[in-house]
Amino acid sequence: MTIRILTRLRALHPSIDIALKALTRNRLQTVLTMLGIAVGVGTVLAMMAVGAGAQRSIEQQVRAAGLNQITVSAGNWKPKVEDSGAAVAHQGDAGDTLVLPIPELVPPLRRFELGFDDDVASTNGRDGVGDDVVRAIATGGSPDHRLPADDIALVRHPENDPMEKHDHPLAWQRLGDLEAGLGAAATLTFADAEAISQLDGVQYVACGVHANARVYNGEKRWFTRMHGTDLQLLDIKRTWTLTHGRFFTNAEQNAAEQVMVLGQVVAEKLFGPANPVGGFITLWNQPFRVVGVVTSASWVVRPAPGDDEFDAVYMPYTTTHRLLNLTKLNDITVTAASTGAVSEVSKRIAALLRQRHGIAETAPDDFTISTQATRAITTGGLPPNVASAIAGNVRELERVTLEQLAGTLERSSTTMRWLLTAVAAVSLLVGGIGIMNITLLSVTERTREIGLRLAVGARSRDIMRQFLIEAVAISLAGGVIGVVCGVIASATIASTLRWATVVSPGAVLVAFGVAAAVGVFFGWYPARRAAALDPIAALRYE
Amino acid sequence: MIAVRDLEKEYHVGEHVIHALRGITLAIDATEFVTVVGPSGSGKSTFMHIIGCLDRPTRGDYVLNGRDVSQLPGDELARVRNETIGFVFQGFNLLARTTALENVELPLLYTRAGALSGAERRERARHALAVVGLSDREDHHPNQLSGGQQQRVAIARALVNTPRLLLADEPTGNLDTATSQEVMDVFARLREEHGLTLVIITHERDIAAWGTRTIDFKDGHVVLDRTHEQAAPV
Repeated sequence: MTIRILTRLRALHPSIDIALKALTRNRLQTVLTMLGIAVGVGTVLAMMAVGAGAQRSIEQQVRAAGLNQITVSAGNWKPKVEDSGAAVAHQGDAGDTLVLPIPELVPPLRRFELGFDDDVASTNGRDGVGDDVVRAIATGGSPDHRLPADDIALVRHPENDPMEKHDHPLAWQRLGDLEAGLGAAATLTFADAEAISQLDGVQYVACGVHANARVYNGEKRWFTRMHGTDLQLLDIKRTWTLTHGRFFTNAEQNAAEQVMVLGQVVAEKLFGPANPVGGFITLWNQPFRVVGVVTSASWVVRPAPGDDEFDAVYMPYTTTHRLLNLTKLNDITVTAASTGAVSEVSKRIAALLRQRHGIAETAPDDFTISTQATRAITTGGLPPNVASAIAGNVRELERVTLEQLAGTLERSSTTMRWLLTAVAAVSLLVGGIGIMNITLLSVTERTREIGLRLAVGARSRDIMRQFLIEAVAISLAGGVIGVVCGVIASATIASTLRWATVVSPGAVLVAFGVAAAVGVFFGWYPARRAAALDPIAALRYE
Repeated sequence: MIAVRDLEKEYHVGEHVIHALRGITLAIDATEFVTVVGPSGSGKSTFMHIIGCLDRPTRGDYVLNGRDVSQLPGDELARVRNETIGFVFQGFNLLARTTALENVELPLLYTRAGALSGAERRERARHALAVVGLSDREDHHPNQLSGGQQQRVAIARALVNTPRLLLADEPTGNLDTATSQEVMDVFARLREEHGLTLVIITHERDIAAWGTRTIDFKDGHVVLDRTHEQAAPV
């Protein structure tokens, strides 16, 4: 069939015509030689497909690992009060002796921010801090939601179990505590999340309320993280897969039902290998029905104790709000529709929230936006303020970190590529020797013909070109077969080995280029031999 | 047309030096019909290769059409062969599994003065075949033609590029007497109708008699060079 296609090219140039006619004369040898090249070219193509596929799956894994993810946390993180955690723990103890603030004197949130700055200035005099904290807790951080002073004592919190020992501040103390660090300030609302989801370039938005929690299955217990979240989290966490059951439903979320999805680690700790779906978990002395178990589908991330993702339990944030009597969010997780737009979307979110929270031009944010890229930089040992300045100003920062991650991960596919490269090299060598062999045979067989052509006016270079074209025609025809074989091989690798493969037009071109190069390289010697023939000797050759 | 002076050719075979031509000086005018005779190894083939620009002399000059071609580079010699000279060989040297017409087209594939279109090549090849009287054999392969017909195809191939000089090395060597006459008749007619210069090597005296001049070679020398009336035998 390839021969038939090639005969159509005959009209183009007499040399092509001559070469193709010669090839059809030794049809079997020609086809066998083509096969040698086909194996080589097919292997080259398969190699490139595996390489490109690995590259693409790495990029997908990296993206799935959260590179397009933006986390908006309540509160603003200031490096100078890093040691405030200890102070807060201390104040947690002092929380019993809470002095009830007078609502009318409670400063609105914006004043709060300014007060926070004052705190930074007054880190020496810690005494003033406590009062601010108290006020913050009492108001819930926002003037539209403040608890009447008298009601504070009446809040029956499920965690307020006198038999339970808490080594962390109570939730209702912690929420709204600007000093407690990232995510503790109650500045974000469900309405904020709704507004963010309307922004351009935003793909998914999930609310988050977090706490540490002790979960029980009968006698077995496990100290883990509790995440109150919403349905969209499953869309955001693209590497998640449900091993059992399902995620909670919209109906369950709206009704604030006590349903729970367990991380893989928690499921193993509390239920062992058994299927926990349908079982019950106790948290805050409340029963929760287990509806599903999540684990990681990515080979980059494996569930591990303490990872905050699979060593965790998930419930609707509405349930968390109901049980903890809260209305605010700790954070909002957002994904950008495109990885490249993360910085842009971050800026839009910041502008939106500043506007919604009524923050003055000169005032600092009452929230913190972080991305994978900014985290990569801030964990690199840079002073956080420098890091955030860089993160804010480097264009396409996320791409830089993407490449760094991809570079690290790519090594795992290198072995496969080397193996294929070796196979390709050997088969191209063998195929090339085959081409040299058939071309030499052809030169010898047609010595008289060469002599005649020289006698009627062919130049050496005409003869050389003719045999080179023959060699290249064989290798290119082999290349066509090879591309077909390569595509089939790539599909086979993809379906049997579960390796992602990508056959790009560029790879096909390279495969053809390799075929042509082999033809020229191995056809050169026989062609030169033909061109160097003495016409008289060639004419007399028997 | 052809003028050679002190033409010498030496071959090295191992340590031996073979003197194929030992100083040939002669001139051939346009439209002459020269037959070259002599025993094997007398140098007549070597002489023809040199005047056919297939080989270069070791020493001496060769002027073809007023141009010294004795030391031209290979590509230039190829051009001379293509444009000025037509060859006919003893063994016909037609390409197998190729039609008569395509065989005749062959020299046109290597023309320098602008590539000819396929249709043009076809037309000229057809004309050349008509000249040798084989218009009805265009699509025949060589193995479907008789010896005489094959040689006429070879002559048509030599003619297709309208050369001035036609060289034939034992053109009738593989043919029986009747066919030989037929082929020689074609040569004679071509000379008359197209004004070709013919140089034909033969070792048959009756073929040599077709010429207007006969040159005898022996041991690399011209031993006899005589002009005579063309004696076309009946």
